[in-house]
Amino acid sequence: MASILRSFLDWLRSLFFKTELELTLVGLQNSGKTTLVNVIASGQFSEDMIPTVGFNMRKVTKGSVTMKLWDIGGQPRFRSMWERYCRGVNAIVFVIDSADHEKLDAARTELRNLLEKPQLANIPVLVLGNKNDLPDALPVEKIIDEMNLKSINNREVSCYSISAKNQVNIDITLQWLIKKGKGTK
Amino acid sequence: MNLSKKDEDSGDLGIFYHLDKTTVLQEARVFNETPIVPRKCRLLLTKIIYLLYIGEPMATTEATELFFSVTKLFQSKDIALRQMVYLVIKELSSIAEDVIMVTSSLMKDMQPKSDVIYRANAIRALCKITDASMLPSVERFLKAAVVDKTPSISSAAIVSSYHLFPAGKDVIKRWANEVHEAINSKPTSLVGSASSYLTSFSTSSSSYSTPPSSSNINQYHALGLLYLIRQHDRMAVTKLIQQLAGSSRGGFGSSSGILRNTFAYCLLIRFAAKILDEDPNSRQPMYDLLEGWLRHKSDIVNFEAAKAICNIKDVTSKELYPAINVLQLFLSSPRFTLRFAAIRTLNKLAMTHPTSVQPCNLDMENLITDQNRSVATFAITTLLKTGNEASVDRLMKQITGFMSEISDEFKVIVVDAIRSLCLKFPTKQAVMLGFLSGVLRDEGGYEFKRAVVEAIFDLVKFIPESKEAALAHLCEFIEDCEFTKLSVRVLHLLGVEGPKTATPTKYIRYIYNRVILENSIVRAAAVSALAKFGVSVEDPEVKKSIKVLLTRCLDDNDDEVRDRATLYLRLLDEDENAEKYLKDDSTYSLAALERQLVQYVSSSESAEKPFDLSAVPKITKSQAEAENLRPRSFDLATQTIGVSSPAVSGIIPATISTTSRDATPTPGIDQQQLYTQQLEKIPEIAAFGTLFKSSVKPVELTESETEYVVSCVKHVFNGHIVFQFNINNTLNDQLLENVSVVMQPESDDIGLEEEFVIPTSKLPYDQPGSVYVAFKRTNLDECPLGSFSNTLKFVVKDCDPTSGEPDEEGYEDEYLVEDVELVTGDYVLPTYISDFQGAWDKLGEDGQVVETFALTAAKSLKAACTTLIELLGMSAVENTGTPQSTSVHTLLLSGIFFGGMEVLAKSRMTFSPSTGVTMELSVRSSSQEISRTVISAVV
Repeated sequence: MASILRSFLDWLRSLFFKTELELTLVGLQNSGKTTLVNVIASGQFSEDMIPTVGFNMRKVTKGSVTMKLWDIGGQPRFRSMWERYCRGVNAIVFVIDSADHEKLDAARTELRNLLEKPQLANIPVLVLGNKNDLPDALPVEKIIDEMNLKSINNREVSCYSISAKNQVNIDITLQWLIKKGKGTK
Repeated sequence: MNLSKKDEDSGDLGIFYHLDKTTVLQEARVFNETPIVPRKCRLLLTKIIYLLYIGEPMATTEATELFFSVTKLFQSKDIALRQMVYLVIKELSSIAEDVIMVTSSLMKDMQPKSDVIYRANAIRALCKITDASMLPSVERFLKAAVVDKTPSISSAAIVSSYHLFPAGKDVIKRWANEVHEAINSKPTSLVGSASSYLTSFSTSSSSYSTPPSSSNINQYHALGLLYLIRQHDRMAVTKLIQQLAGSSRGGFGSSSGILRNTFAYCLLIRFAAKILDEDPNSRQPMYDLLEGWLRHKSDIVNFEAAKAICNIKDVTSKELYPAINVLQLFLSSPRFTLRFAAIRTLNKLAMTHPTSVQPCNLDMENLITDQNRSVATFAITTLLKTGNEASVDRLMKQITGFMSEISDEFKVIVVDAIRSLCLKFPTKQAVMLGFLSGVLRDEGGYEFKRAVVEAIFDLVKFIPESKEAALAHLCEFIEDCEFTKLSVRVLHLLGVEGPKTATPTKYIRYIYNRVILENSIVRAAAVSALAKFGVSVEDPEVKKSIKVLLTRCLDDNDDEVRDRATLYLRLLDEDENAEKYLKDDSTYSLAALERQLVQYVSSSESAEKPFDLSAVPKITKSQAEAENLRPRSFDLATQTIGVSSPAVSGIIPATISTTSRDATPTPGIDQQQLYTQQLEKIPEIAAFGTLFKSSVKPVELTESETEYVVSCVKHVFNGHIVFQFNINNTLNDQLLENVSVVMQPESDDIGLEEEFVIPTSKLPYDQPGSVYVAFKRTNLDECPLGSFSNTLKFVVKDCDPTSGEPDEEGYEDEYLVEDVELVTGDYVLPTYISDFQGAWDKLGEDGQVVETFALTAAKSLKAACTTLIELLGMSAVENTGTPQSTSVHTLLLSGIFFGGMEVLAKSRMTFSPSTGVTMELSVRSSSQEISRTVISAVV
């Protein structure tokens, strides 16, 4: 009886305080999107991942916030479909491998192409430089320069350097994201 | 497309009645809303599936758009909604683009850790969106799912693999062990399923347990897939059958066997029947298995085994006996399906083995009044085949009673049965003819009418007493016939048979009526028929009136009719030409004629001399008909109804062979055409000129199970002989390169000189290739005979059996195959002549050679005839290919010897069990030498 009452109260509370948040994770293959989703959802890190064919959908509840995470595959064949899943979301999370210097060019081009889409105007973008635990990872300032983020001025853009493996800066990433959810309500 | 259907069923459609694609696609926006309302979405998905189901066309862009909206639904955890999503994905998978997008999501859903009911559904959807390139990445999961303990999941994975097999053979072949394990898996035991209920009960309602299944259907699926993987390996299939069947040997009735699914048994029976059919060595063991299954506890298995036994080629009545017993029991079963299945099988069997079916007569009599018309029809037609003369009248009466109640398809079956009956009991022809003419007046479609007309044709052909009456019925039929094709055929028959009757004049009126009343095609046929009367009837009065009639036809408004009339009028005055063009019933073998004409037209040098028509083999009309009959009876045999084959010759050979039928087929004509086409593509061989003869059947030079399977075809040209070696590499871990054949004649003075060898550069696994070895004949007067030893020479490269990637390095190897022999028969082309005695006398005794032989090894006259025909390469004429008596027979043979010389042979033979066959063979041709060469073939 008590548990029923509690769940009823939970439901009531959720009615008032619940924030729903829809996010899309994109970025080149092997940048750590699926890993990041796993870390956010369950706190577990796994080295052994297979490439995402298509997309993964995860629902994560953090406190009163429910996040719908669309994790889209980064292989070239899926890049044209990123836009479909970015429409109408609260924020786009663009993950890059900050230790893979050679792919930065491609990442920059893909990001620019994506943000040019009229359907996605004004959606905030969070660029995450993942894998900062690796020795030759770029610092956050370098990433901002390399990705040419300063030139984006028609929307909110932020950039963090994180490590999904060591759980570095995951908290501030979440804070940023949750703020986006509250901001829209 | 189903608009009409929509209207009919509108009552049941309810909310779906006024569905419109545009609105539904508009509504699809709800998929993008948050939060998702599962109920609403499910309804919409149902509407989409309904639209797709009724065939509403959907453009690729629409479908893609819809597909991506649907993928948004993966965020909902609602199970029923997820299952609907899978269904829609499966439907859209063939229309929309980029369906691969859901791969990861589906793979997540089929993971063992997600303890949900829809794992199996996810697997089936996954197979629809996966192509060969994606298969390796899902391989691990599918392989694991194949051996999953839950039957539905295992089934889903196996069936999916089955569908993916054509695209991803190599990957799926690697799963054979897992599939085998799936067959052997224990059923989900009662305890297991009970405990899963318990757990699901105790841990709240959120976990879903899969319902336990008792059908073991996954064994059926797994067996199907395993066979698909191994079907080309007969040994493995045999082993599989024996293993699965053997385990259940111990106790039918007990559930100790591995297989528990009855469909799996049926499948096993079909595999066993196929093996039995292909491999004579395994006939006995496979038959024993089939016979054992007749006592299985399940009806369907019994039936399948009985059917398999009935379908064995040249089955003996002893082998049939247990199967027929089982079918007989089924005949009195209270279940429709069993009765139908049994009577249908018996009906088919009665075509070939009427006496074996006879013991069931009593049970079948009871089925005549069966309330199911299909069962009754089959019962009657079967009885007609098995019954004796006395029961025919009664049965005919019964059939007439319900002819009007059955569909055309069954009417055809009845007519076919009657047709064979007429030939079996010629004395009953009056009853049958009455029946046939009666149904001919009934309503019916073309197929039905055709069957009736053909049945009457057979009567005319084989039962002389019925001819007049039958022709009269046909005349009446064409008076009011809506099928042009049938009218033309009847008119032709009237033209051939009419003049031979006592009063030919009475048919002329019917025929001329057609000229007045019908369309141009029928008119032309009628003119031809009239002309035949004019030529064939002795009475000059008739000829005169025919001329009058034909003259009237000259004013016809159709070209063809006028042309024919003019031609025939002219011919009527020239007896000699009339003989030649109107009465001669032999015709050229069309396939051979076409081939030689093409050759003549395409080669530039031959244009200087006229086309040599004498080299084209001639066949009679009846022979041509026999050729046509074969494909026709084949068509009928494969009809959905499954019963048929009016191939008269097959039904009652004994009766027919006494009539004037030459059933000597001319095999190899089509085959030879094929060879010619192949050889012409090789410039070196094309230079040899016209192909005289290719050996009819390839000679097998190896056993069929060896590493390399080799067969040889001999092609004889004017000045050359080409041996074509067909080689198949059956080792999947080897690639053969630069394959050639070294031929060594047994003696050097054989009169042949090797000219060249055309090797084949590569022989990958299971892709047959050909090597050609060409010899030049040094002495054109003599025909080289003798045997050759053959050695395959090649470079072997080992390769990975799965990827087919060969190693860089190879090594040379040799492989000895059996000898091939050049025999006299290779220089003789079978031909047909209509008048053997005439030709025989014409050739005279100058070129005659006579010898006597004792063939102690021959077991019967039939065997001796077959051997002799094969040895001499000639064709049996005047229906002498099959002996009538078991003790004395005269075989007449005709052929064209190399160089266009006519050769005839007459063999008188006697048979006694103690001494075998003794025969006196006389060969006549234009020269002693040729005759001697031909006769030496037998020595």
